[in-house]
Amino acid sequence: MRRNGPLALIFHGLFVVFMLAPLLIVCVVAFTPEGYLSLPTRGPSLRWFKAIFDYPEFIRAFRDSLWLAALSSTIAIMLAVPAALAIARYRFPGREAITALFMSPLMVPHVVLGIAFLRFFTQIGISGTFVGLVLSHIIVVIPFALRLVLAASYGIDRRIEHAAISLGAGTATVFRRVTLPLILPGVVSGWLLAAINSFDEVTMTVFIASPATVTLPVRMFLYIQDNIDPLIAAVSACLIAMTAILLFALDRLFGLDRLFVGSGKG
Amino acid sequence: MLRALHYETSKTSMSHLVLDGLTKRFGSFTAVDAMNLSVERGEFVSLLGPSGCGKTTTLQMIAGFVDVDHGGIRLDGADLVSVAPNKRGLGIVFQSYALFPHMTVAENIAFGLEMRDIAKADRDRQTLAAMELVGLKGFADRYPRRMSGGQQQRVALARALVIKPALLLLDEPLSNLDAKLREEMQGELRQIQRSVGTTTILVTHDQHEAMALSDRIVLMNQGRIEQIGAPDQVYDHPASAFVASFLGKTNVLSGIGDGQGAAAIGGLVLPLPGAGKGPLQLAVRPERLTFAGAEEPGLEARILGRVFQGTHWLLTADSAAGALTLMRGNDGAAVPAEGETVRLRFSAADAALLPAGAAA
Repeated sequence: MRRNGPLALIFHGLFVVFMLAPLLIVCVVAFTPEGYLSLPTRGPSLRWFKAIFDYPEFIRAFRDSLWLAALSSTIAIMLAVPAALAIARYRFPGREAITALFMSPLMVPHVVLGIAFLRFFTQIGISGTFVGLVLSHIIVVIPFALRLVLAASYGIDRRIEHAAISLGAGTATVFRRVTLPLILPGVVSGWLLAAINSFDEVTMTVFIASPATVTLPVRMFLYIQDNIDPLIAAVSACLIAMTAILLFALDRLFGLDRLFVGSGKG
Repeated sequence: MLRALHYETSKTSMSHLVLDGLTKRFGSFTAVDAMNLSVERGEFVSLLGPSGCGKTTTLQMIAGFVDVDHGGIRLDGADLVSVAPNKRGLGIVFQSYALFPHMTVAENIAFGLEMRDIAKADRDRQTLAAMELVGLKGFADRYPRRMSGGQQQRVALARALVIKPALLLLDEPLSNLDAKLREEMQGELRQIQRSVGTTTILVTHDQHEAMALSDRIVLMNQGRIEQIGAPDQVYDHPASAFVASFLGKTNVLSGIGDGQGAAAIGGLVLPLPGAGKGPLQLAVRPERLTFAGAEEPGLEARILGRVFQGTHWLLTADSAAGALTLMRGNDGAAVPAEGETVRLRFSAADAALLPAGAAA
């Protein structure tokens, strides 16, 4: 195996530091006992973590964001699976157009989407509702779901399905017992990526969210406009910790490389 | 009239599988052109031909994965075309094995039984028997990706056979294996097929495989059947220049017929019943060309090159009747060198008269 040269090592080191340093600093700052953003020089304190519970808006926004992410990514993946199978297998008129349409939310700036949805939702009378939020998020995350399911669908040997058919399996059984398990890595990673993107979305959501439907990122954004204190760092630290635990659990249960690459642990 | 009718029905009921004017077109390209074939119960028939000859399309029409444009397929006298592919009850083995990668060997094999709602205990018993049949006892919990190509192919065969299929369809099943393993699997496949007695259709482009395995070979070219016959019959008596050149090596020699049942090929004059007057073409296998004695008439040929193959020498030569290849067993006798002139002979029985106008 070729070893990395010193220059490459320095580059990789800097890269890793650049990626991880902000996360690390936020986590450390969250433990400060001071009333302003600073490193905890007087010893760590849980003051700002306790403060989160004085702001039930954060808890509610977190819960709403989780629901929103789960709902929108689940619906997006349910639309993406049949679309991906059709696009991967059949040559039909409008195939390119449909692919482009599904992918287009990636191309349109989220600011534009936000304004467009605001106007449109007002027009049809669902402005400021959770339904509107879910609908807009489905559209924004569908490219991620479709991309990954599509990649998995292209890789399927159709003769495996033919073998199942010849052994007596009907269309529904073939899908449930053969096709779905074969594209499952793409489905799971597509769902995960869609959920993360939905959870994370601010630019568009700011326009659509109403006081009744504020997601966590929007709540955080609104909060730092008024006060800059370590509370926001504590919220961030909680999110980072939860993400880390989730990824760790997924890795132990399924293997992350298998989820995202579709190989590895059997 | 009645007798004739009775004869017809008894004839069709004898054949297990009947393809009747089977036709498939893709756009303006005719993949399979009015193909007729009758296969007897328990018979092993190979569809052999170059890629694009329609053999795979034919197999897929029998399996139901490709729609039939014209003609019919009958199994035991009953129409098969109108039956959904998952209701046909055929066993199929693919070149890529097409095993279910997320299932163990036992789960793969049991899949067809499960689809037939066979009780768990029975299923396990039959799965075990199938694994034994293909020599995979003890592999039940293995995943396909942890097995060699040959082992995977055995799983595929067991999975197809365990449902006791009316027909076994093999789509180039051994092409992905290396030469030595392929030969082993050929013997085993034949032996298993004999013991189970399932009517089998093999699609292959490998003439050796077709000859080693089949009761009959169906030679296909450009969507049509060129010839049907037992392997030795097709090899020894090719019906066309295409068959002669596709099956093994062959020499196509030109001669002149005298119109009285004889033909002259260079200096060699042979009695050839059926030869007309004028130019004609003969197919002669390289191994049937021998050196003529000093007193015998012969076809003069100049040796252009020689290649040693272990068990034999392969010589290329040029003669008045055309370029030719001949084979000399490595029996210790001297082999003519490049540039030498030899005189060749063959008997009329070794030559197949090719239809006029047919080109290799």
